[in-house]
Amino acid sequence: MIPEDPEPGIGSAWKLLVICVLSGVLVVGFGVGFILLPAFQPGQHASSVHEAIQHALGHHTHDQFPEVMPLPESIPTYVVWDEATIHQALSGDAVRGEFIAINCTACHGEKGMTEQKWIPNLAGINRIVLYKQLADFRSETRLSGPMSAIAQAISPQQAADVAAYFSMLPGILRSEGMRVPESGRSYRTRDDVKRLIFAGDAKRDLAGCATCHGPGAYRLGAPSLSGQNRDYIEQQLHNFAQGVRRNDMNMPMRTVAGVLTADEMHRLAVAFSSSTYQSQ
Amino acid sequence: MDRNRLLPLVHLWASFLTFLPAIGLGVWQMLMRSPLPTPIDDPNVYYASVTAHGSIMAYVFPTLFAMGFGYAIANSSRGGVLSGRMLAWIGFYVLIAGTVMALVPVALGCSSVLYTFYPTLVGSPWYYLGVVLVILGSFFWIAVMVINMRAWKRDNPGQMVPLALFGITACALLWGWTALGAASEILFQILPVAFGWRHTIDAGLARTLFSLTLHAIVYFWLFPAYIAYYTLMPQAAGGRLYSDTMGRIAFILFLVFSLPVGLHHLFMDPEHGSGFKFVQAMLTFMVVLPTLLTIFTITASLEIAGRLRGGKGLFGWIRALPWDEPMVLAVALSLLLLGPGGFGGLINMSFAMNAMIHNTSWVTAHFHLIFGGAVVIMYFAIAYELWPRLTRRPLISKPIACRQLWLWFWGILIVTVPWHIAGLMGQPRRYAIFDYSDPSEARMAPLVIISAAGGFILFFSVLLFFFVLVRSNLAPRSEVMPPVRYSLAINPPPTVLPLLNGLGFWNLILFALLLISYGYPIGQFFFLRGQDSPGYSLTRELSR
Repeated sequence: MIPEDPEPGIGSAWKLLVICVLSGVLVVGFGVGFILLPAFQPGQHASSVHEAIQHALGHHTHDQFPEVMPLPESIPTYVVWDEATIHQALSGDAVRGEFIAINCTACHGEKGMTEQKWIPNLAGINRIVLYKQLADFRSETRLSGPMSAIAQAISPQQAADVAAYFSMLPGILRSEGMRVPESGRSYRTRDDVKRLIFAGDAKRDLAGCATCHGPGAYRLGAPSLSGQNRDYIEQQLHNFAQGVRRNDMNMPMRTVAGVLTADEMHRLAVAFSSSTYQSQ
Repeated sequence: MDRNRLLPLVHLWASFLTFLPAIGLGVWQMLMRSPLPTPIDDPNVYYASVTAHGSIMAYVFPTLFAMGFGYAIANSSRGGVLSGRMLAWIGFYVLIAGTVMALVPVALGCSSVLYTFYPTLVGSPWYYLGVVLVILGSFFWIAVMVINMRAWKRDNPGQMVPLALFGITACALLWGWTALGAASEILFQILPVAFGWRHTIDAGLARTLFSLTLHAIVYFWLFPAYIAYYTLMPQAAGGRLYSDTMGRIAFILFLVFSLPVGLHHLFMDPEHGSGFKFVQAMLTFMVVLPTLLTIFTITASLEIAGRLRGGKGLFGWIRALPWDEPMVLAVALSLLLLGPGGFGGLINMSFAMNAMIHNTSWVTAHFHLIFGGAVVIMYFAIAYELWPRLTRRPLISKPIACRQLWLWFWGILIVTVPWHIAGLMGQPRRYAIFDYSDPSEARMAPLVIISAAGGFILFFSVLLFFFVLVRSNLAPRSEVMPPVRYSLAINPPPTVLPLLNGLGFWNLILFALLLISYGYPIGQFFFLRGQDSPGYSLTRELSR
């Protein structure tokens, strides 16, 4: 047996030494990181210790930051995807919504499926998508005379109700939660429409449609497209490209549509409307 | 079979059996990213595959390995006794159940969130619950390690805990602290959204919590390799360990410094100011200390062995070492891989240089070089060392084992060196497909093809590894198989040093460092509100 250390316990000199060394390291670290660097870094004119610490914590505002933010030229949408809005969009009552939907049948068809190809099918469309579009029509950030009038006549809760009703009807194909693997969804494929949908076009900074509209992933507010009317899809792509339609938050659709050719828009619309792609 | 030997053997088999399919997925992923023809070229499958590959390689394979290695060390250190065997088996079954629960939704394509979760991406809740179960299962192991270290001290008063037992207990405790970040991110941030109870996530808080796990988990993977450097290699080389104390100090420094440093993974993130990023970057440099201590001690131990074996002159001892011993060969190859890997790490942890390689393939190449290279090659060697002791059958085909290690070494270099270069050329990480008809990407094509070829070499090396293990398992039993013997230090500690013989004080220090370095970065999210973003569902539109 070897002898025990004569000084066990918290007060031993070794423990004190460890604590002192670590404290020294921390004092140097905090001193440099919170006082010296913010004070001497170019572009950050911290005039006091307090200000330097504020800089280091990321609480400062930049010098050139104006007191009042200028308003943007146009506001794409007033919908903010916070907890309360999402909750309201999901809280619709389909029974009440069916009653309100009587107003929609003249254009969108009896059960949300219309023969008029320039008008969108609503059956099966996601309720969040419909809620947002109604909100945008109401605020006229998406322009349509009839739709703005209708959307302004109903409350946000009624919009959620009607969205709940249409979302439950059979029509536009929805994801079942699983994804079936399929070859040819990369740049290797020779089918250029399929390539655009699943891989996009890196040379034009184009992400694939599937990235937001499924089955890659579902961006909140981006609709499923399989089964949507051909002329409607094509018209919307043109509207986004020309800036006639501007209610896409952060401009994903205006950016994408802006670099698509008219022929590509047409072929994408044909592909989605015929449900050839995007089954899972 | 002795029940105490069965426990580590089952863990090690389970560990390597999860490793094999994960390697296969990795090879397919390399192909998918290359310009070569690839079966099922679907980006969705790529992301599902990366999730499965990463979840197995990060959470399941090394954890099961460390658990098995830990039980083997505890059992041999205590002379064939292991306390808490029932707890250990419960932990094993919980972990296996968690693995299955996590991998089924991944295979169905509804949890392709990559193993680092990346909220606001949201997958199936079953995946996250599975990962939590994997962590929970491993916590039983932590308890068993602590119980056995205490039991050893009780049975052997006035003696230093054997270095291997001390190290593996430090490793278990490190994992316990480490896993808290990912577990709390899953439980409090992601699962409520995955279940549909909430719809928004504070991605900044989620990323900060995960950063607590993200760096220290690498040291958890490394720990078994380091334990083998100190306690198995000198013995296998026919020499002595240069310093037992150095080993203890290295293990303690890993425990203390690998946690309060994770913010260096968030250098480019906007949710933290520069102050804490600097403090944690500085603490990250402290982790270099145990690595340098180890390289010095292990090289010195190799020199002792070489000279004991008759090696003379400045470098003559290198030739005298037993290079036909898998453990000796693996340590040398591992250190060779650790060198460039470590220097790459210094680049990653330096703010300005990090900005250049941020989110490029360099980062993926770096952790494959460190973990896939320096660490996994040691896992192979540890398996070769332990197998005869656990199965009571001699290791057959030692020369094939050595060739397997060489293949792995070259395979890793062929995979990761071009991968690093592609990263420096700007190739982004986490991309399933590249358009090689684009001139800016076409110049990377030859590098990616070489890398993919390296993947096949690694796969072949793993097949050889299984060949050696299975062949040894079929060999006749030998009743005279010596037990595991750990290296003796040339200079053992002259007295019991309580600071280097227990981990209580160091856990307190670690807790204090965590409070100081992470208290504000995490706490700020509770008063800086309004940063939540909606969950980004992978497979279905939000409808509840």
